[in-house]
Amino acid sequence: MTTPRRALSREVEGLLARWRLRRCHRVGAAPTVLGRVWIHGEGQVHLGDRVVLDGRLAPIELHAMSADSVIVLGDDVAVEGGASLEALQSITVGAGARLGAFCKVMDNQHHPLRGNRHERPPSVPLVIEPGVTVGSRAILLPGTQLQKGCSVAPGTVISRRIPAGVTVGGAPARVLRREVAG
Amino acid sequence: MTSRIPSVPVPAVFAQLQALRKAVQPRAQRVLAMARARWLLRSIQRLGHNVAAYGPMVVHNEGFISLGDRLTFVGGMVPSSLVCHPGARLTIGDDTQFNYGVSLEAWESVSVGARCMFASFVRVGDKDGPRAAPIVIEDDVWVAHGAILMPGVRVGARSVVAAGSIVTQDVPPDTLAMGNPARNMSLELVARETGT
Repeated sequence: MTTPRRALSREVEGLLARWRLRRCHRVGAAPTVLGRVWIHGEGQVHLGDRVVLDGRLAPIELHAMSADSVIVLGDDVAVEGGASLEALQSITVGAGARLGAFCKVMDNQHHPLRGNRHERPPSVPLVIEPGVTVGSRAILLPGTQLQKGCSVAPGTVISRRIPAGVTVGGAPARVLRREVAG
Repeated sequence: MTSRIPSVPVPAVFAQLQALRKAVQPRAQRVLAMARARWLLRSIQRLGHNVAAYGPMVVHNEGFISLGDRLTFVGGMVPSSLVCHPGARLTIGDDTQFNYGVSLEAWESVSVGARCMFASFVRVGDKDGPRAAPIVIEDDVWVAHGAILMPGVRVGARSVVAAGSIVTQDVPPDTLAMGNPARNMSLELVARETGT
């Protein structure tokens, strides 16, 4: 049973969430924002429907650094506190994916390994496909492609394609478990 | 004689104001950060000039901390911390940059060279349980996000510690250390392929 008062508070919460996401380019239906969410940079941030951003533990950082960088979070994506997404070109998170606490997703190394360390190397678009689970403190480096339904153990460092339905862990990442996809 | 009242080109003036703001804002922020660093790092014995802290920091000094010139501590979701226990020594060279969440803890001795780069959530501590051994990081080292340096490690000049790696053994100069435990590979061989 929804009393008018509860309905009203839900409305207010929705408005508050939208106010906190005012810097996003597009926000879907019914976003949930808890705690602190930082959206900065000149680029675009697109959020799908029913996105949950839980920044109670530590702020969530969505950083679209340059004017043509895009961060896309699909429908039903859940992000825990301390997660930091930094895009120079594009980061795409598919529907239903979950990003754990303090995980770092970046599509650019920011410094080249050799030569002048103060210029930017080229970035590689980073794709997280639908249904992926990323554990806490995981680091997704440029070149990462997490395919449908794979899961990443906490603390893993990834910089390449991970096939669908596989569980990976460790640094450098290796396959822990293979499951039948779908 | 065209018109007497000079027409004000509003968009041009606005653009000029924007450009002015773009030019002035970083410097203003730098000045503010330097003032903040002066306050946050007041317990430090030797502090170089032009040290800037763009965010909150945790400083706990009971030993001897010496910071070089032109350091930058970037602010972020977690404050950086400098901890120096009694009788310990923590030295940081010139032009070194720290991202947020970096934790440097000295029980015996931690020394960081010049022009190093520390990414976010890097942890350097020279004590692990009962064992304490000095950590030396030489010049031009880049330590990437979330790396942990264990006690007794020496990281050679111009080396790179990859993201999330845990360094348990010495890293020679011009080397990429990656993985848990970190394995060393020559930068000459690694960086030939793509930029990533």
